[in-house]
Order: sequence, then structure tokens, then C-alpha cells
Amino acid sequence: MSIAEMANAAAGLAQFSPAPSLLEIGDSFWLSAVLKIAVVLAVFFVVPLVVGYMEHKVMGHQQARLGPMEAGPHGSLQLVADGIKFIQKEDLIPSAADKWVFAIAPGVAMVPAILIFLVLPLGPGIWGVDFELGLFYALAVGSVTTLGILMGGWASANKFSLIGGLRAAAQLIAYELPLILAGIAVALQAGTLSLVGIVEAQSTFFIPGTEINLWYLFPQILGFGIFFIAAMAELARPPFDMPIADSELVFGYMTEYTGIKYAMYMLTEYAGMVSMSALMVVLYLGGWQLLPGVPMPGCGGSGNIFDCNALGVGLGVAVTLGKIMLLTFLMVWARTTYPRLREDQLQRFSWLVLVPLSLLNLAIIAVAKGVF
Amino acid sequence: MTGHDLAFLVVALVTGGGALLTVTSKNLVHAALFLAVTLSGIAGVFLVLAADFVALVQLVVYVGAVAVLFLFGLMLTRAPIGREALDNQNRGLGIAVSGGLFVVLSVLVIGAFGGTTAAEVGGPRVGDIGMVIFNTWVLPFEVLSMLLLAALIGAILLARRETGDSGEEQAPTRIDMGTAPSMEAERMARLEGGDDQAELTAGGDPGPAAGRGEGRA
Amino acid sequence: MATTSPPGVGLLKGLGVTIKQMFKPAVTQQYPHVKPDLPPRTRGVIALMDENCTVCMLCSRECPDWCIYIDSHKETVPPAKEGGRARTRNVLDRFAIDFALCMYCGICVEVCPFDALFWSPEFEYSEYDIDKLLHEKGKLREWMDTVPPPPALDEGADAPGEVATAIEKANQELEAAKAKAAEEARAKEQGEQAPAAGDAAAAAPAEPEVKAGEIDQETFDRLIAEGKSERIARSKAKAAYVKKEKQRLKEQAEQQAAAAPAAEEPKVEAGEIDQETFDQLIAEGKSERMARAKAKAAYVKKQKAKLRAEAEQAGGGDAVEAPAAEGSGEAAAGEAAPSAAPRKADIEVEGAGEIDQETYDALIASGKSERIARSKAKAAWVRKKKQEQMDAEGDA
Repeated sequence: MSIAEMANAAAGLAQFSPAPSLLEIGDSFWLSAVLKIAVVLAVFFVVPLVVGYMEHKVMGHQQARLGPMEAGPHGSLQLVADGIKFIQKEDLIPSAADKWVFAIAPGVAMVPAILIFLVLPLGPGIWGVDFELGLFYALAVGSVTTLGILMGGWASANKFSLIGGLRAAAQLIAYELPLILAGIAVALQAGTLSLVGIVEAQSTFFIPGTEINLWYLFPQILGFGIFFIAAMAELARPPFDMPIADSELVFGYMTEYTGIKYAMYMLTEYAGMVSMSALMVVLYLGGWQLLPGVPMPGCGGSGNIFDCNALGVGLGVAVTLGKIMLLTFLMVWARTTYPRLREDQLQRFSWLVLVPLSLLNLAIIAVAKGVF
Repeated sequence: MTGHDLAFLVVALVTGGGALLTVTSKNLVHAALFLAVTLSGIAGVFLVLAADFVALVQLVVYVGAVAVLFLFGLMLTRAPIGREALDNQNRGLGIAVSGGLFVVLSVLVIGAFGGTTAAEVGGPRVGDIGMVIFNTWVLPFEVLSMLLLAALIGAILLARRETGDSGEEQAPTRIDMGTAPSMEAERMARLEGGDDQAELTAGGDPGPAAGRGEGRA
Repeated sequence: MATTSPPGVGLLKGLGVTIKQMFKPAVTQQYPHVKPDLPPRTRGVIALMDENCTVCMLCSRECPDWCIYIDSHKETVPPAKEGGRARTRNVLDRFAIDFALCMYCGICVEVCPFDALFWSPEFEYSEYDIDKLLHEKGKLREWMDTVPPPPALDEGADAPGEVATAIEKANQELEAAKAKAAEEARAKEQGEQAPAAGDAAAAAPAEPEVKAGEIDQETFDRLIAEGKSERIARSKAKAAYVKKEKQRLKEQAEQQAAAAPAAEEPKVEAGEIDQETFDQLIAEGKSERMARAKAKAAYVKKQKAKLRAEAEQAGGGDAVEAPAAEGSGEAAAGEAAPSAAPRKADIEVEGAGEIDQETYDALIASGKSERIARSKAKAAWVRKKKQEQMDAEGDA
């Protein structure tokens, strides 16, 4: 039970009734909390590793290489080995660095990345909290990561780090706008900011006058494109990796970081890929719904994708993770295909292309919503 | 003392401590970072008071945008990298002004909401906030947005000084180019087309006479 | 942004390139797990066939890095014949190559006049200690086991000089034997006064002289049919007859020769191992692979020693000088046969424009293009001419 729920209960304002999470254990607040934290942390630490491995292999094969092959069968434990290596490494802090800021910066970047997972629905009933402001929460918390990157860039006492940090900040501010505007269009169409509510709205969205169920991907294909590009830029993924830009900035804000702190930054990036993909799955790809209009086996409720039995839950989680992997694969694909943009091209693209387009998208959706 | 009170106390202490460190910190960037802590603490206070929407707005606007822009500006302009200190000497004045402000605000807030307790403050729903803003308070809201627009345009004017005054080209600020022969100096001399620009390249070669002649023609 | 195609097409094309590449096989070599397939001439490590080394020091002197170290001493060999002069011989004490210095130019392998140095494609001999890169004689000898056989000759190529001379020598011996047999037969003939028809028939084909008057009817007919004058046709047909006869005789001789030297060739089977050495090494706790390799080497060495001893016993002092290298199959024949006849390449043939009609016809019949057939036939003609001249000289 979140603070918001408590407040709602206290005020007698119960118009928004959060969908129950399957992770609740009876009425016990603390046990449920521990379970939810465990699930969130497990997802946070495992799924990004899978995505990272997928990236290694996909990039390898797209570049006529094999990718990792030694650690585990076909290198499947490569990232585990990397993690062990990072833990063993000496924790270097440059003598001119601002030690405290330097030390806490990766944490400031990583904690919001963990917190986002709290509201992401991974399957029917598999979410930490069905927060009324879920979408806004995810985007708001995600914006704090910028602070951690900026801190790390400045505290390293390294000009490359500083430039990287500044670029990261400029980029995140520039692309947060189209990201949020595209998200708002979805919220507008769904009539709710709750992520579970958006999934439900998609499962019950029909083309006006017909019985054909559609995901928001189809009416909002423009919004999806904007969100996808902005998400890649938010995560500083190539071709938008100017904050890291290893050919010009060594490694940007991560230049001076080693060992576990560096691993935290990297984990933040990959967890960001997962959480952004999960957001896109929820906003545009119908959450855990198998295909538009297809009821989930073993499920009932609204759109036939709620109130599931064990089979439905397992299948739902698998579908969500599959969609996440598909979207992260697209990100990796773009990474191997396109060269890095220039910093001014990046800014121009955001302010002159994506922001007007996302405003246009918002206007179209608003008008359509009013008409139908 | 309930858990609620305890949570509020912790958040309030963090906020207060952050605020105090913001003004006492000798390092400009540290001060900005403590400001970010303070602003997050305020978001926490909103959360404890069940105003989750406002808390998130606080987070996205103040922590995610304002504090970041603040740091951004500092780092771009005057903050030394690493742990060098910059200190402002106006401590006494600062203490006086902030102390006075604190007293005034405390009196006002206690006078207005003194009797209520946290449990009675129900957080309104997002929808309600939206209805209120875009119905009852739509005019003040739009006026406020005009204020932001004005600030935006002002920033643009400041940033693009040459085209400032009614779009007329203003003479750029002249910089003493020193003794080194400079392409830029030559270019400017040709543009202005006068020998009165000789001080631009004072002591240096003012450029080939033929080239200048061409420039004039 | 002045593009002819609509914007975004290039972006999609780029995605197409990467996704296509994704399903093509990777070019990565899984090296430690899968050994690279190296060409036979790979310059991996230099192997030493120490039996072939005469301590001429050419390699050491030519080495640009001065990374070859050779020590030797002289031994006096007792005279081969009673009352002859005692000879001295260089004995190799140390032969070492410092692979820390070596730059793999291969000059030593090139200059070695006695086929004692070889390239091996083996390359996995890096060490933690730079001193261990100095490979001594024993180790260099071990690399010899990894030297691949030389690449096969091109089809239709001349036999290597040493092989050709060996064949030549065998031919000569054979002919000498035949001549002797014929003489004996004649003696017998004279003695018995009763010429045995069978003997004469048998001796006739062995006669190296070809009767000059005969003509090759086939050639003659063909030439006449082609409209040549009779005189020309006759002379050419005569030549053709001689050529054919010679060819036939030569083939016969070669067949016999091939059978004869094979028996006396002191060949050492490469696959055999020296059981004694093998057992000993296994007992010492060496790995089986290593033991097997060393035992192989030991076997080869022993056999060589045995052969050399035999040769010494048989031929006295002189035989020692002849390298006993026949042991290893590849390094074989070598300088064993003294070049009694001039090499083919040294013979000049006039009239390079002529072609060998027979070859030409055969090639055209097998569907080759005219150009190829003509050039090959030309080559065949030259070869035949050379052979003829050599035969003639041999006869002389």
C-alpha cells in the first residue's frame, strides 16, 4: 500500500482503485514490500545482463564476428564474468577528483533506474505498484539520472569527463521533452497515467465503429517513432552516444571510473534500455497481450488479459520479456548500423524535428479523441 | 509519534540540512548539489503530505530540470573542475535576509494552516487538479505561462546579442587580437573598410595592401 | 540534404545491410580450439635436418640478424683406398637459432646448399622466458617432423633436376647392363655359331640404335594427305619414326629403372617408432604424444645411422661424404646422384616455333582451345627435342 493509497483512503477519494499486484502476501505490508523489492532487484540485475549478452552476440554477428564465446556455452556467462572482474578491480579515484561527489554519482544515476522498475507491469499482476501516476512517475524518476551523470562528469576532474557530462545533460534535457510529449499523447488516448490502466485501455481499444482491437502502436505510430528515438537518445545509446563518444571523449563521463562504480554506470545504461523498452511495450505494444484482440490463455477480466491463473501469468511475463528483447534488439540493430551524430545535429534534430512532431502527434491524438 | 510523523521528520531534516549546506558550502557546485538535495527533500515532504502529483512535478521540474540546468550553467561558465572552492563574502547579509524571510513565512504558514494535521490533508487526484487548473484558474495559469514565455524570449535575446535591437546588426564587440597576424582581423578590417581599424592588428601586419584594396572594391 | 531518394530510404538500406550480415557466417577463427589451416609454405619455425648439414656456415653468414650459432670440429677420415690420402670432415657440434632475434626472412633456408634447413608451419613455441627461444640442435631437429611435404608439381612440369639426373643415371646403368648382355649374347653367338632367333628378337628392341632407313608410315601418309611434297614427307616420317622408337625405348628403360632403384633405395618408413625409446620416455612420465614424436625421431635417426654404417662398410671412406639423407622421404634423392648428364635446362633447342603435332591433336581432341593446345604442343616439342639431344649425348 503506497502513501498515495493511504492518503486516498484517508481522504475518502477512492475513484482510482489500483489493480492488485500478485506480489502482495496477504495483508502484510512489510512481507509484500520485501517480496516486491526482491522481484524488482532480480529484474533489475538479471534482465539487463540478458540484454547485454544479446547485444554482444547481435553486434558480433552483424559485424561478421562471433561475439563472446569463452565464458559459458557460447559466452552466455560473459557478463557474469565481467561483473566478477569489475568487483575485483581496484577502485581508483583521481587525486584531483571531488571524492564524495565522485563516489556517490554512480549511485545517484543507478537508484532512479531501479526505482522505475517499481511501476513497470511485466505481466498480469506482476508489478510492484499500480501507481495512479505511473507513467509520470517513470519519466520523472528517470530524469534524475541526469544529475548522477553530471555529478560524475564534473567530479572526475577530467576535461573529457566534464565535456561528456555536459553533453549528457544537454542531450537528456533536449530529448526528455519529445519523450514526455509522446508519452502524454498515450496518456491522453488511454485517459489514465497508470501503466496498468494503459495496458487495459489498449486491450479494450477498438477502431471506432468496428470490433477490431488495436494497440496504440497503430494510431500512434508517429508517437512510437518519436518515443523510440528519444529513448535511445535519453540512454545515450549509439547513434546518440555523444556523451560517451569514445573516439573524441575517451569515454565521456565514465572516463575516470573503474571497477564497481563503472559497472554501476553500465548497469544503469542497460537497465535503462530495459525500462525504456518496457515502457514502450506498455505504451504502444499492449503490455503482456499476445496479439491485438487475442485473449490471454487462462485469463479473464477486462480485455481477457486480467485475473489470470499460473499459466496466464507465466505466459504474460514471457510475452512482455519477449517484446522487451525485441525492442532492445532494435536498439542494438540501430547501434551497429548508424554512425554517431554530431552534437549540433543531435540538438537540432531534437528541437527542430522531434519536438514539433511530438506536438503535432499530441494535437492529432487530442483532436481524434475529441471527434470519436 | 506515528510512522508518518517519523517519515516527515526525517525528510524535513534532510531538506533543512540540505538547505543549510547549500548556503554555507564554499564550493559552488557542492552548493548546487545540496540545492538538488533540498529540492528532492521538498518532493519528499510533498509525498509525505500525500501530494504525490506535486511531488513528482517537483522532482521532474526542479531536480530533473532546474538543478541540472543550474549545474550545467555553472560548469559551462565558472565552476572549477574538482574540489576548488569559491566563496562569496556576503554572509552577514545572507543570514539577515534568509532569517527575516523564514520568520515571515513561518508566521504566515502557521497563521493559515496552524490547526490542521497531516491526516486531514487529502491529496487530490490528478484529474481534480487538472479540472481546477483548466477551469477555475485558467487565466492565472495562462498568465504564468506568459511569464515563462517572456523569460524564454529574454534568454534568447541575451544569447543572440547581435540581432538584438529590432533586428539591426550591431557592431560586434571588438577584441584586441594582439600582435599575431589574424585572418579574423583582416576579415573585419575589410568588412569595415577603414583604416581606423588599424588598432585591431596593432603592431602586426595589417595585411597585404592589395587584398584590402580588393576588399574595398 | 540534397538526396535523390526520399529521406529515410538510406537509413532502411543500412539496416538491411546489417541484418543481412547477421545471418552470414562469421569470419572469426576460433584459434586455440580450431587450428588455423596454414599453407604449406608458412614461415612458422625453421627446422634443421642436421644430417644434411656440412657446416658450410652459409646460413650463419647470410643471416641478417646473426641469430644462427654454429660450432663444429674437424675429424680425419681414414683413406678409402690403401695408400690413399686421409680426408677431413666437418662434424656439427652445435646448431642453434635464436628465434627471439630471427626475423623470419628465410634467407638461411634459401641459401642452404644441402637442404638442411626447412620451413615448418608450426608457430606455437612462445615462451615465458626469452632464453628459451634459443632453439638448439635437438629442438630444431624435432621441428623437422612437422615439415610438410613439398607441394606437388604442376601437371606436365619437368621433373626436378635431381630426380631427372637420378633417372638419367639409372638409364645409363641399365643401358650399360644391356650392352653387356648384348655383347655376351654376341660372344655366345660367335661361339656357338647358331644364332637363336628368339634371342635376337629379344635383343632387337633393346638395341639403342634405331635403324635410320625406316620411316613412320602413319606420318608419311598424313603428310602426303596434307599435300606436302614426298621428299619432305619422307624426311619427316623418318624423323617421326626415330622419335617414336626412342620414346618407346626410353619408356621401357624407365619402367625397368623405376623398379630397380626402388629396391636398393635406403628408405626409412616415416610412421615407425622406436619402441625402446618410446617405452623409456613413457617410463620417464612424458606425455604419450611427446614420447611418440621423440620415438619416431629416434627411429629415423637409428635407421639413418644404420644405413650410414652399412654404406661406410660397403663403400669405404668415400661413401661417408655422400649424404645419407635418403632416410626422410622428402629430403631424399637430393645430391645423391652425381649429375652425369647435363640438365635439361642447359640444352638449347633451336626452332622454338615448332609444335608437337601429336600432342596438339590429342589436346584438340580432348576439347582444349586451339591456343592452349598450340602452346602446350610447342612445349611438348621442345621437351622432346631436348630429350633427343640428351639421349644423343648419352649415347655419345
